[in-house]
Amino acid sequence: MVPSPILLQSSDILAPTVFTINLLMMSFNLLGILDVQNTPCARDSVLYGSAGALVAGVGHFLATSRVKRSFDFGVGSFLLTTLGTWMFCRYQNAKLRIQHRMVQEGMKNKVMYEGTKMDPTKKADRSSRDNQIDNPGSTARER
Amino acid sequence: MAHPSQLGFQDAASPIMEELLHFHDHTLMIVFLISTLVLYIIVAMVTTKLTNKYILDSQEIEIVWTILPAIILIMIALPSLRILYLMDEINDPHITIKALGHQWYWSYEYTDYENLEFDSYMIQTEDLGPGQFRLLETDHRMVVPMESPIRVLVTAEDVLHAWTIPALGVKMDAVPGRLNQAAFIISRPGVYYGQCSEICGANHSFMPIVVEAVPLEHFENWSSLMLEEV
Repeated sequence: MVPSPILLQSSDILAPTVFTINLLMMSFNLLGILDVQNTPCARDSVLYGSAGALVAGVGHFLATSRVKRSFDFGVGSFLLTTLGTWMFCRYQNAKLRIQHRMVQEGMKNKVMYEGTKMDPTKKADRSSRDNQIDNPGSTARER
Repeated sequence: MAHPSQLGFQDAASPIMEELLHFHDHTLMIVFLISTLVLYIIVAMVTTKLTNKYILDSQEIEIVWTILPAIILIMIALPSLRILYLMDEINDPHITIKALGHQWYWSYEYTDYENLEFDSYMIQTEDLGPGQFRLLETDHRMVVPMESPIRVLVTAEDVLHAWTIPALGVKMDAVPGRLNQAAFIISRPGVYYGQCSEICGANHSFMPIVVEAVPLEHFENWSSLMLEEV
C-alpha cells in the first residue's frame, strides 16, 4: 500500500476536530434552527432587530397605551429590522468575499509571475519607462 | 469533516460549497423570520378575547398574504438559480478521474496520461489504526491536486450508487451504463470524506469515499509511486 504522500494523516485531523466540536458546542440555536454564533451577520441582525422591536413596541405603547397593538408593532419591527440588517450585512459580506478572492488571486499571480515577463509590477515599471521614451525631452526640460 | 451531534454543514472546501453555505444561511434566516411570525400569530390567536363569527372575506389581508409569499419566494429563488447555473458552468478541467461504483467498493481510474487504476475498500473496524475514523477510512484514497479544476466521471458496474463528498458540495448518482460528470475545485489541502448515497445492498453503508487534496508536486509523486505499485 502506497503511504499517503502528504500532509495530513487521520491523527492530524483529530485535534482540529475536537477543537471544532468544542467550538460548536458553544453554538446557540434560535428556535432550534438558527445558529447565531457561527452564522455570519446572524447575531448582529437579531440584536438590531430586538433593539428595533423594543424601541418600536415601547414607543407605540407610550404613545397609545394599547398593549396588544404595541406587541404587534414590536414583532413587525423585529421582522423588518432583522431582515433589513441581514440583507445589508450579507451584501457587505459578499463584497468583502469578492475582494478577498481578488486579493488572493493577485497575490498568487504575483508570486507565480515574479521575475518573468508577466510580472504585473514589471508592467507598471515598463509603462512608466515607455512614457519617458515617448516624451524624451520632458526629463531634460525638468532639469 | 463530520463530527458527532452535528446539525449544520461541514466547512466548505470548494467555492461552490461556500456559495451553497451562504445560500443556506440566507434561506434559513428567512425561515426563522417566518417561523417567528407564525409563532407570534398562534400566541395571539390563542390569547385574544376578540371573536367575530361573521367575517366572510377581507380583500386587504388576502392581497397581503398573496403578494408577500410571492416576494419571499423570489428572494429565495434568485440566489438559488444563480448557484444552479454556477454549478453548470463550462470549465476546463486539468484532470479527469473516473469513479466506478461496485458492490461494495469504489474504484478510480486516472487515464489522462498513464493507466492508473485502483480499488478503494473500506478499512474494517478491527484493522483501524490510532486516530482513524470508523466506517470512513479506505485503503486507497483518491488523491487529487488542490486548486485545480477536476472532472469526475461517475458510473457503476452493477447497481445504482452515488458518489458524495459533502465538504466539496458534490453528489452524483452512479448509474450502470451511464457516465455522469461532476466538476469541482478544492480550495485547500486536506482529507475529505463521503459515503455512498444510494442504497445498493447489504454493505451500502460500508463503501466510503476519501479524497485527499495535495499540492501538484505531491500528486505527481503519488501517481508515480502508485503506477510502480500497480
